[in-house]
Amino acid sequence: MSQLPFDPLLLSVVAPLAVAAAIAFGLPKRWSVLLAYAGFGVPALIALWAWIDYSSAAQAHGYAYLVRHSTGLDGLGISLTLGLNGISLPLFVLAGFVGLAAGLYAIRSGAERLKLYLMLLLIMQGGLMGVFASVDIFFFYFFHELALIPTFIMIGVWGGRDRNYAAMKVTIYLTAGAMLSLIGLIALYVKSGADSFDLITLRAYLAAHPLGATVQHNIFGLLLFGFGILVSLWPLHTWAPLGYGAAPSSAAMLHAGVLKKFGLYGLIQVALPLLPLGVGGWAHTLAWLAVIGNVLVVGFITIAQRDLKQMIGYSSVMHMGYAFLGIACYSAVGAGGVVLMMVAHGFSVALLFLLATSIHHRTHTFDMGEMGGLAQKTPVLAAFFVAATLASIGLPGFANFWGELSIFVALWKFSPLITALAVAGVIISAIYGLRSVARVFFGPATDELNRVTTANPPADLSWSEKLPALILLAALLFVGFWPKSISTPLNATLDAVYSAPARSAAP
Amino acid sequence: MHFVPPMLLPALWVLLLPLASAALIALFLRRSGGAAAALSTLVAAAIAGLALTLALQGDRFEYACEWLKLGNFSLSLGIKFDDLAALMLTIVGIVGLCVHVFSLGYLHDDAAKARYFGGLSIFMFSMIGIVLADNLFMLFIFWELVGFSSYLLIGHWHEKQSAADAAKKAFIVNRVGDFGFLLGIVMCYWANGTVNLTELGAHHVFSTAIPLLLFCGAVGKSAQLPLQVWLPDAMEGPTPVSALIHAATMVAAGIYMLCRINVLMVPEALNVIMWVGTVTALYAALCAITQRDIKKVLAYSTLSQLGYMVAAFGLGSTEALNGEGKVVLVATGVGAAMFHLTTHAFFKALMFLGSGSVIHGCHHEQDIFKMGGLRKKMPLTFITFTIGVLAIIGFPYLAGFFSKDAILYLSFEHNKAVFAVLAFTAVLTSFYMVRLWKLTFLGEPRSAEASHAHEGGITLTAPLLVLAVLAVLGGYIGLYPHAYAGVLELVPEAHGSAHTTIFITSLAVMLIGALGAYGFYRTAATDTLQEKSPGVFGLLVALKESFDAVYNYYVAKIQQRFALLLNLIEQLFISGLIIRGLAGLVAGVGIGARMLQVGNLNVYVYWFLFGLVLFLACVLGVS
Repeated sequence: MSQLPFDPLLLSVVAPLAVAAAIAFGLPKRWSVLLAYAGFGVPALIALWAWIDYSSAAQAHGYAYLVRHSTGLDGLGISLTLGLNGISLPLFVLAGFVGLAAGLYAIRSGAERLKLYLMLLLIMQGGLMGVFASVDIFFFYFFHELALIPTFIMIGVWGGRDRNYAAMKVTIYLTAGAMLSLIGLIALYVKSGADSFDLITLRAYLAAHPLGATVQHNIFGLLLFGFGILVSLWPLHTWAPLGYGAAPSSAAMLHAGVLKKFGLYGLIQVALPLLPLGVGGWAHTLAWLAVIGNVLVVGFITIAQRDLKQMIGYSSVMHMGYAFLGIACYSAVGAGGVVLMMVAHGFSVALLFLLATSIHHRTHTFDMGEMGGLAQKTPVLAAFFVAATLASIGLPGFANFWGELSIFVALWKFSPLITALAVAGVIISAIYGLRSVARVFFGPATDELNRVTTANPPADLSWSEKLPALILLAALLFVGFWPKSISTPLNATLDAVYSAPARSAAP
Repeated sequence: MHFVPPMLLPALWVLLLPLASAALIALFLRRSGGAAAALSTLVAAAIAGLALTLALQGDRFEYACEWLKLGNFSLSLGIKFDDLAALMLTIVGIVGLCVHVFSLGYLHDDAAKARYFGGLSIFMFSMIGIVLADNLFMLFIFWELVGFSSYLLIGHWHEKQSAADAAKKAFIVNRVGDFGFLLGIVMCYWANGTVNLTELGAHHVFSTAIPLLLFCGAVGKSAQLPLQVWLPDAMEGPTPVSALIHAATMVAAGIYMLCRINVLMVPEALNVIMWVGTVTALYAALCAITQRDIKKVLAYSTLSQLGYMVAAFGLGSTEALNGEGKVVLVATGVGAAMFHLTTHAFFKALMFLGSGSVIHGCHHEQDIFKMGGLRKKMPLTFITFTIGVLAIIGFPYLAGFFSKDAILYLSFEHNKAVFAVLAFTAVLTSFYMVRLWKLTFLGEPRSAEASHAHEGGITLTAPLLVLAVLAVLGGYIGLYPHAYAGVLELVPEAHGSAHTTIFITSLAVMLIGALGAYGFYRTAATDTLQEKSPGVFGLLVALKESFDAVYNYYVAKIQQRFALLLNLIEQLFISGLIIRGLAGLVAGVGIGARMLQVGNLNVYVYWFLFGLVLFLACVLGVS
């Protein structure tokens, strides 16, 4: 238990929600903006503190900062239990930092109806911190829904091209995914017989009374496809590029960067440890869907994109394929690789969406065919974009490399053939990544771009863009150079899960 | 390993100084090109000094620390400093410093000088990482990073479409090679339980797949057939970069890597490696004959020489007994390959910097048919360049003579067919080199640029002098300090009749090629070969262009169309049908797609509440 007089994790959830509530109750705009800084800053600071403090914090049941808050539903086994373990800590940190970056960007974005925009973003932020701090599956799910709803609204109200269609499609897909995973979670609750949503209780109970293999297989299937839709498992992925293409940048940053990781997180934190026999029957289906669908087919589709934001959206779908491959391995290396990948991808995709919007401000288009030569006018923007692209295609020195590498290493044990196909994906990502850099920034400018830039000479990255970008880039580099900052706590938690002889326990 | 070797600290300095330099430049010196250039060059000088200290004081050590651990997978970063690393580090240090100094003059007026020198520092960091790496994962990490710095520097003048394309191409083609390399490393890890070079040397399983997959990395980085296409294009980068990265050090990293993993080799793999190198040597030499661009000639020459090194590595295999009494292969090609790598680094860097001096003197004219007469205009460049040419064509008692003879001797002993091809390649080498030399320096100036050519300042000429000395002396193994004995003792030496045969052969091929070119080419504005024998000329051009034609066809006609087709299916079928299906399903359930109107806050809240109610209902139902 921490020595603080309050529960820091609860504060990280409540602070943004409280600011959102204050804005909703009619705070004037100036105060709204000021308080919004606090609403995004407090969770980020708590995340930073937790990251530094975690190794020295007291652990209980494998969690640090474990606090149980009564909700009045204790009889149902529902309580607001907050805590961090090695799996949730990296994602909690991710949520805090990406939230701060998205928030800073939004505050200075000059969006129409700024107060409403910030309010929704703050609700999202509160939900996100809650998702990863929750030890209770009920609240884990609740916070996800809380963060998801603002996404729909933000796409619908502030979205770009095709926003109505995009919002509808995203809503249908994500609601379907959420419902499916909800059914799976309820089935888990019902079948376990532990009468508790608390992960610690569930884990202990299921270790003593393992579920039958068929039950595990069926529940895992529900969770896999439910969560799978939320993480854009091929072929249920088409909401993602469309939605991100239409979403306003801060919403895209938070959703693609953080909220989308909910499904993977659920699989790693809930499904794999509680249903160790469930993954076996699905592993090959999952791995083939991921490698052929997400990595190769979507990889080629990414190459074909002209629209910068769609390209980033598709590349994100592709990278989720690697995460699914890591899950299929069912090993500490694979799962650890997925967590590293989630964190890295979260930072890099958020950075890419931010920069894509910055590019749009200067070119007035997302069509890469109408750009070119922008590096001469905006060298700093170009440098950031090159760095973000190289991070996302897995260059060592950036966090993404560790995720991909660990997954490839784990995958070889699972299937060398699938590994070979997956590694081929790194060529594909180099193609679309460098091609987009070249089309936007290098070579001579196109006539279309010249027309736009003659009318509005583009300025290089301003501080309101540079600061959030720096936060994300610094995180990518820090983890890239010092992966132990994440892998050490992660490994301790994974060891407990994957060294246990769970696979042979069930009848 | 708790014992900390005393020389660990300087080794860490040599690795981290350039990283610090790059970071400082990126953060603070972006707008101050002069300061960035000074910082980067000072660091390069410090690296050269430290490298020589480390190499010569004789202390050899290994040190590693764990960098990432997940489950049973552990990755460490470590330093393996043996004689091989010492030799490579020395080359990187010396050539690196020469190139930095040369760049001070060559890019004096460049608008993005800070970015250039930052890139050079990143390159030094990455390259030294490769040299010092004690395991394959670490090698791969820095392998990718040199690829990145190469990308950055090839694309230095990114406003030129050709430079941007070349940078992209280099990175992607290298990734194709790295695809195999990475698979090989992962396979090696699981097969042997380790990727540490020393541990692999002590014990490893026999496999043909592992060394061949690892060799893919070398095929990409050292531009061997069929992935050679990126290197000629990489000449879009500033000329000092071509000297350092695309001639002396990075492209040689493939050969260095092979020498690092020589314990893993098996005869089948070595056979493949030998032939890939041999064919590349011949192919590139043929391509070099038709080039008009001074840098392109040198680029194909580099390819060809890299082919020599790869062939040398593949050639030298003898069987021996290991500690456990098993027959293992000792790849003695390491000696010949590394020796040629060393001399080549000196004389090729010399010629590239010489070409840089020529290009600088001729106001960025690169066409040798528009040069001529530079002998008088640029005497110092002429003399040093001539030394480089003599060294590469194997003129007796210059550097290339000894190292090329070692390779010819190896092939003579092991495989006569390879010997014949390599000897013929040597004819071609002296042919295209003398052609280049004659057209550039002899005769009369053939353009305004050439007639106004002038020698550059001290920063341009001093590196030429240093490298020229090394190109003369680099072949005398006796002159090398004992510190490099671990590698240089492996260099095969011919004795008796074999020695005579090799000496006569190499002298003969050198003279045939050189005198042939000297007599054949006129110092004129047109290619003599093209005029006198357009058929041969056309054939050689077609040979050069065939690979690019195939790849371009693949990229434009197959890959792009396949991508567009998949995209079409995606947009029409998956996107369209599934969404309609789901919408229909939702409507069928009775919730009414109508309710899904966008932007309507109530609907979402209903959805949300619906979920929660469902949740609670289920919970209550069961408890």
